[in-house]
Amino acid sequence: MKFEIEDITVYFPYDNIYPEQYSYMVELKRALDAKGHCLLEMPTGTGKTIALLSLITSYVLSKPHSPLKLLYCTRTVHEMEKTLAELRLLHDYQLLHLGPAAKILALGLSSRKNLCVNSRVLAAENRDSVDAGCRKLTASWVRALAAENPSVPACEFFEQYERAGSSAVLPPGVYTLQDLRVFGKEKGWCPYYLARHMVQFANVVVYSYQYLLDPKVAGIISKEMQKESVVVFDEAHNIDNVCIEALSVSVRRQTIEGARRNLTRMRQEVDKFKATDAGRLRAEYNRLVEGLALRGDLPSTDAWLANPALPDDILKEAVPGNIRRAEHFIHVLRRLVQYLEGRLETENVEKESPVGFLVSILNHAGIDQKTLKFCYDRLHSLMMTLEITDTDEFLHIQTICDFATLVGTYARGFSIIIEPFDERMPHIPDPVLQLCCHDASLAIKPVFERFQSVVITSGTLSPIDLYPRLLNFNPVVSRSFTMSLTRDCICPMVLTRGSDQLPVSTKFDMRSDLGVVRNYGRLLLEMASVVPDGIVCFFVSYSYMDGIVNTWNETGILKEIMQHKLVFIETQDVVETTLALDNYRKACDCGRGAIFFSVARGKVAEGIDFDRHYGRLVIMFGVPFQYTLSKILLARLEYLRDTFQIKEGDFLTFDALRQAAQCVGRVIRSKADYGMMIFADKRYSRHDKRSKLPGWILSHLHDAHLNLSTDMALHIAREFLRKMAQPYDKTGGTGRKTLLSQEDLEKMVVEGGLNDMLY
Amino acid sequence: MSSSQVVKRAKYKTTVKDPGTPGVLKLTQEKLLFRPNDRTSNNKLDVEFRLIKGHKHTKEGSNKPPWLNLTHAQGSYIFELESFSDLHVCRELVGIALSKHAEATKAISEEQLSAAEMTQRIKLLQEDSKLQKLHKELVASGKLTESEFWATKKKLLDHNESSKSKQRIGFKNSLIFDTKPTSDGRINQVKFQLTPEIKYQIFALKPAVHQAFLNFVPSKMSEVDFWNKYFKAEYLHSTKNAVAAAAEAAEDEDLAVFLKDDEILEMEARKKVRRVDPTLDMEADQGDDYTHLPDHGIFRDGSKEISEAHHPLYRRTLLQDLNRQGAVVLEGKTLDMEMEHPKTVAEILARRKQESDGLIEEERRNRISKMTQIEDLQAQDNHPYAPLCIKDPREYFDSQQVNAVKTLDDSQAGMQVRCNLGSVEAYDSLRTSISKIKATGLRDPLISPEVALKVLNGLTKNISNTKYHLGKSSQEGVLDMLPNTTKDKLLDHWVCSQELLRHFWSSYPITTPNLNKTKRLKDAISQLYSKLEEIKVSAQSDLRHQVSLVVHPMQQALDAALLHYDADIKKRNARGSKPNGYV
Repeated sequence: MKFEIEDITVYFPYDNIYPEQYSYMVELKRALDAKGHCLLEMPTGTGKTIALLSLITSYVLSKPHSPLKLLYCTRTVHEMEKTLAELRLLHDYQLLHLGPAAKILALGLSSRKNLCVNSRVLAAENRDSVDAGCRKLTASWVRALAAENPSVPACEFFEQYERAGSSAVLPPGVYTLQDLRVFGKEKGWCPYYLARHMVQFANVVVYSYQYLLDPKVAGIISKEMQKESVVVFDEAHNIDNVCIEALSVSVRRQTIEGARRNLTRMRQEVDKFKATDAGRLRAEYNRLVEGLALRGDLPSTDAWLANPALPDDILKEAVPGNIRRAEHFIHVLRRLVQYLEGRLETENVEKESPVGFLVSILNHAGIDQKTLKFCYDRLHSLMMTLEITDTDEFLHIQTICDFATLVGTYARGFSIIIEPFDERMPHIPDPVLQLCCHDASLAIKPVFERFQSVVITSGTLSPIDLYPRLLNFNPVVSRSFTMSLTRDCICPMVLTRGSDQLPVSTKFDMRSDLGVVRNYGRLLLEMASVVPDGIVCFFVSYSYMDGIVNTWNETGILKEIMQHKLVFIETQDVVETTLALDNYRKACDCGRGAIFFSVARGKVAEGIDFDRHYGRLVIMFGVPFQYTLSKILLARLEYLRDTFQIKEGDFLTFDALRQAAQCVGRVIRSKADYGMMIFADKRYSRHDKRSKLPGWILSHLHDAHLNLSTDMALHIAREFLRKMAQPYDKTGGTGRKTLLSQEDLEKMVVEGGLNDMLY
Repeated sequence: MSSSQVVKRAKYKTTVKDPGTPGVLKLTQEKLLFRPNDRTSNNKLDVEFRLIKGHKHTKEGSNKPPWLNLTHAQGSYIFELESFSDLHVCRELVGIALSKHAEATKAISEEQLSAAEMTQRIKLLQEDSKLQKLHKELVASGKLTESEFWATKKKLLDHNESSKSKQRIGFKNSLIFDTKPTSDGRINQVKFQLTPEIKYQIFALKPAVHQAFLNFVPSKMSEVDFWNKYFKAEYLHSTKNAVAAAAEAAEDEDLAVFLKDDEILEMEARKKVRRVDPTLDMEADQGDDYTHLPDHGIFRDGSKEISEAHHPLYRRTLLQDLNRQGAVVLEGKTLDMEMEHPKTVAEILARRKQESDGLIEEERRNRISKMTQIEDLQAQDNHPYAPLCIKDPREYFDSQQVNAVKTLDDSQAGMQVRCNLGSVEAYDSLRTSISKIKATGLRDPLISPEVALKVLNGLTKNISNTKYHLGKSSQEGVLDMLPNTTKDKLLDHWVCSQELLRHFWSSYPITTPNLNKTKRLKDAISQLYSKLEEIKVSAQSDLRHQVSLVVHPMQQALDAALLHYDADIKKRNARGSKPNGYV
C-alpha cells in the first residue's frame, strides 16, 4: 500500500498496516526531519523492522536532493539475513511502483569467515584463522612476492578483483551474505573486499553493532561513512553491554605466556631483518620520527584491527622517542608483560583506578603514560615492517597493547580489577586482570556525534527514560508504543507456587531445594501434555540449567516429559546449539512437538525467534539477575550511582526484567500469532519487579494471573488454547481497528482520528 | 516340521457324539488312512485329500478334547487325537496337503483360502453390518458364490492389507542412558539389561560405537566382551570422575573409544551446520563477534558462564546426550537394518545426503522469504466464491438442493441456450481457454463464478436427486414418509440390486465359465424384480405414488439388465443354431 505521512509518500509492501506501525513511522519521520536521535520502544510482533525500512527508504526516495544513507545494525548474522530479506520484499515492491528510480544498493557486511569463497582459507576453524589465512594470501608484500615468483600462493579471487579495478562494482539490488558469495563466485571476485568497497556507495548497509561501536573494527570498516546517515540499532536493549564490552580488556595467564612467545618471535624477526635488510627498520624509524604512526593509506588488505581507543581520543602526535626503535619497543613491552605478570600473582581481589595503575606502572616498570598510549600504533607499525601475516598467532601481544593504550588514554569510567580466582569456584586458581569500562556512553559517543540521526529501537526498552541516561544523549523523540490487539493473543502469567502450593523461586537459598526443582519439573510436564507444538524454557544460567536437568533426569521427571515431546538444549557449543535449534524446528514442523531449554542472556535468547508453532509457550524459570557478587558488576553499579544517580537495586531489577521480557517476547511475531508466557518465580508477583516489564506485557497481565499455582496455570492454558483455536476477525471488528487497509488509513488521516485512537 | 507323512494314534468318530473307534491315523500329502486297532471294525478309511473340502479343529485351552474335523461333500471325519501337540502336527500337514490340492484343482473346486484371508473377511463382515447383510442375502441364498462376492470387494481387502504394513515404528523417546545398572547391593558388581532394541538405539545414537562394533566384533573380541567394555565405559562416565576415566582409557585403548567424543558425529555436525537455516545459524555470528576475541571484552562479569575445566576428552554431558537423542528420534529408524549386519552408519548417512546443494540453497532462500512475510498484513483472500470444502457429501447435496430448486428454471433455460452451440464452437472456445491458461497460468477463474455455480447446480441436481430420494437423513425425503418397514426393505433391495447389477454387467461378455453365474444372477434379478413389484402393489394407496417413484428407477435398471440378457440369449441361440441347422 501507498500512503502519505506529511510530505512524504511511504511505500509499504503489504496491503494492510497495523496502526502502531503507522504511528511508529510518524514518530520516526519527525526524528529524521529534526535531524536528531530517537528512542522507540515497540512490542515484538508488530513488524518493527519493515516499518522502519519502509519509512527510511521512502524518506530517501521523497527527497532525492539530500541522499541519506541507512546503516542498519543488528546483533547477529541471522538477524542481518532476516532484515535483508524484508528489505528485498520492500525493494521489489518499490520497483514495481516507481520503476528503476527506486533502485538502491543494499548489502550485508560480515567478516571474512562469512564472506570468503576461497576454499583454502575457509578451511580454517575460527574467525581469526580465516583472517590470517586471507592475509597470508593477500598482504601487499605477499602479493608483491607472488607477482615475481609464481610458486608463492595468492588468492585468485582477490587478484581478479584487483585486476577488475574500478569496474568491479555490484549492480544495484539487495544482497544478503549468501548473494554476495554467489555473486563473487560467479564473477571470480573476492566478495569480502568487494563488499567492503561497495559499503561506501551503498544506500543501505546492514551489519553488526560492533562495526560501529567497537573502535577496533569501526576504525577500519566505518571510517568513511558520511554524516548524512541514519544509524539504526535494532533490538538495542542490550546496547549498553555491547558498548562496555567494546572497551574492556582482560589479561590472563595464557595471555601473558602467549605475549612472551610473541615477543621472542618478534625479537628474532628483528634480528633477522637487521642482518639482511637493515634499511627497512631504518625507514620505519625515520617515518616515526616524522610523526607518522602508520604509513598514510594502507592497502586494505594490510589493515588490521584498528586502535582500541575511540578516534577522538587518539593523539595525533609523533611516537615518543623511547619506543621508536624496534628493539627498544620490544624491550618496553617485555617490561610491561613482566609487570602485569607480577600483578596477576595476587592473593586478594584488587581494585584500582586507571590513574593509580599508571603511577604504579611508572614506579615499577618505568613506563610512562604517553608511551603506553602509543603501544598499539607502534605495535601495528612494527608488525607491518616485519611483514607478519599470521596475525592470529599474535593476538596475545595485541591484547597487551590494547590494554596499554586504553589504560594510557582513559582516566575516567574505567577500573582495573584483579581477581585471583572465580568466586564461584575458589578451588581453581585462574587469575585475571581486567580493565573494565563502566560507562556505556563512551563507546557510543562518537556515533551520536558523527551521524545525523541515530535510532535506538527494541521491543523492550522499559523504563525508557533510563537509556538516555545510560548512553548520555538527548533524543528528540522518545516513545513507547503499546500493542493494539485484535484478540488477547498473548497470555502472560505469574506462577508463584507449584502443584503442592509451596512457593517456587530461583532465589539463591531456594534454587537447589528439591521441592522447587520438582515443582518446576511438574510444571513443565503438565504444560507439555497440554500445549501443542513448541515450548521454550529459559533458565537463569547455564550452571542452573545443567543442574536442574540432571536432577530431573535422576528423579525420572525428564523421562516423563520426553514421552510428550522431544527435548533439545542450548549448550555452550555454538554448532551443537545451532543443530539443536534446527532439529527443534523440524520437530515442531512435523507435529512431533518439542521443548527447547535455553538460557536467559544466552545466544538463543538474544536472537532466535520462536514465533508461531515454534513457540506456543515460554516458561521463564526464575528471575535472571546478574551474578551480584561479581566484582565488576559491583564496580559498575558504584559508577552508575556516582555518575548517573541510578540506584543499584533499580539497575539490577531493570537489567533482570529486560532480559526476562526479551526471553518471553521471542514467542510472538504478528497479531495472528499467539502464545503464552509463564514467569515462574514468586518474586514476579512483587510490584517493584513486575512494573519494570514492558507495557505491552503488563497490559495483558490480568490481576487474576498474578499469583498462580501449577494447576491454575494449567487450567488457564487450556482455556487460552481453546479460545485461540477459534476463527476471528483479523481487522478487529467494529470497535478499535487493529488492522488498517488503505481506505481505513486515508479516512482516518482525513478525520484526524488516528491520533486519538493511538494515544 | 513339514515331514511328508505323519502317523498318530487317534479315535475316529462319525459324529461328535460318537464315542469313537481307536486306531492309527496316517496322513500323507496325498491322502489320509485310518486303521482301527480292532481289525474287524469296518471303520477303515482311505480318503484322498482332493475330496476333502476343509478342516477345522478345536482350540487349545478350550474344554474340548483335541479334535480334527475334516469336512467332505457328505459330512465330516472327526479324529480325536491324544494331545494338542499331535493335533498341531496333523493340522499343519493337512493344511499343506489341502492347499496343494486346491492349487491343482482350482478350476474345478473353490479356491482355498489362507487362514489370514479368511479372518480378514470375517473381520470385515463383522465391522460392517451392511456388508454382512448383503453377504447373507446374496451368498447364503446361493445367488453368488463366496469368491464371486469377494472378487468385487478386492479393494477393501487390499486396502486393509496395505494400510497395515505402511507405518513404520519410530524410536521411543526414552533415553537409552536410562539403562541403569541394577546391583544387588552385596557384591561389587552391576548388571545391565540389554535387548536388541537397546542395541540398535545405541548404534543409532553413537555412530562411533557402531563403527567400533563393526571393527572389533568378532575379529578382536566377542560380542559379550564388547558390551562389557561399553558398559564399563558408560559406568565410568556416569560416575563423573573424569580423572578415573582418563586413567582407565589410557590403559585400555578399546575402552577409550567409548569415552572419547564421537568423531563421526562431529563431522556430521559440521556438515549439517552448513545447510542449516540461516535465520538460526549462530555459528555465523562468531564471525562478527569482536568482543569475544580471546581476552577482549569482560572476561568475568558474572553474567558469563564458566565451564569447569574438564579433561578435554571426556566431557560428554547429559545435555549433549539429550540433543543427540532428540535428533535420532526425529530422524526415525533409518531402515529396517539387521542388527548384526555390517552396514556402516557412514554408508547410510552418505546415502541420505544425496540431495544437491543447489536445491538446498534454493529451499533455504524460499523459506526465509516466506518466514519474513507477516501473514496477516497481506491482503485477505476476498475471493468472490466460497472455498469448496465438502465435509459431508450428503449434507452438501441436500443444501445445494435448495439452491438448485430455486434457480432451477432459469438455470435450465440458460443451459439450453448454451447447448445450442455447435461442437466446433465449443471446441474452439475450449482451445482458446487452454492456450490462455498455458500463457497466464490458472490465476483468474476461467468462467465467472455465478455461471460456474449454476452449472454445478444443474449438474449435481440429478445426482442429488437420486441421493435425495434415497437419503436417510433428509428432512422431507420421500422415504421418510414411508413406514419404516417399507423403507428398510426398499433400502435393502436397493443395495442388493446394485450389487447384483454390478456382478451382472461385469460378467459380460459371457464366457463359458461365467455362463452359469450369469444365469444365476438373472434369476436373482428377476426375483428381486418381482419383489419390488410386490412392494409397489402392497403399498397403501396414499403412498403408492411415492413408492413407485422410488421403485421405478430401480426397476428400470433391472429391466435393462433383463432385456439385455434376453437379447443376448436370443443372439447366442441364433448363432448356435446356425451351424447345426446348415452343416
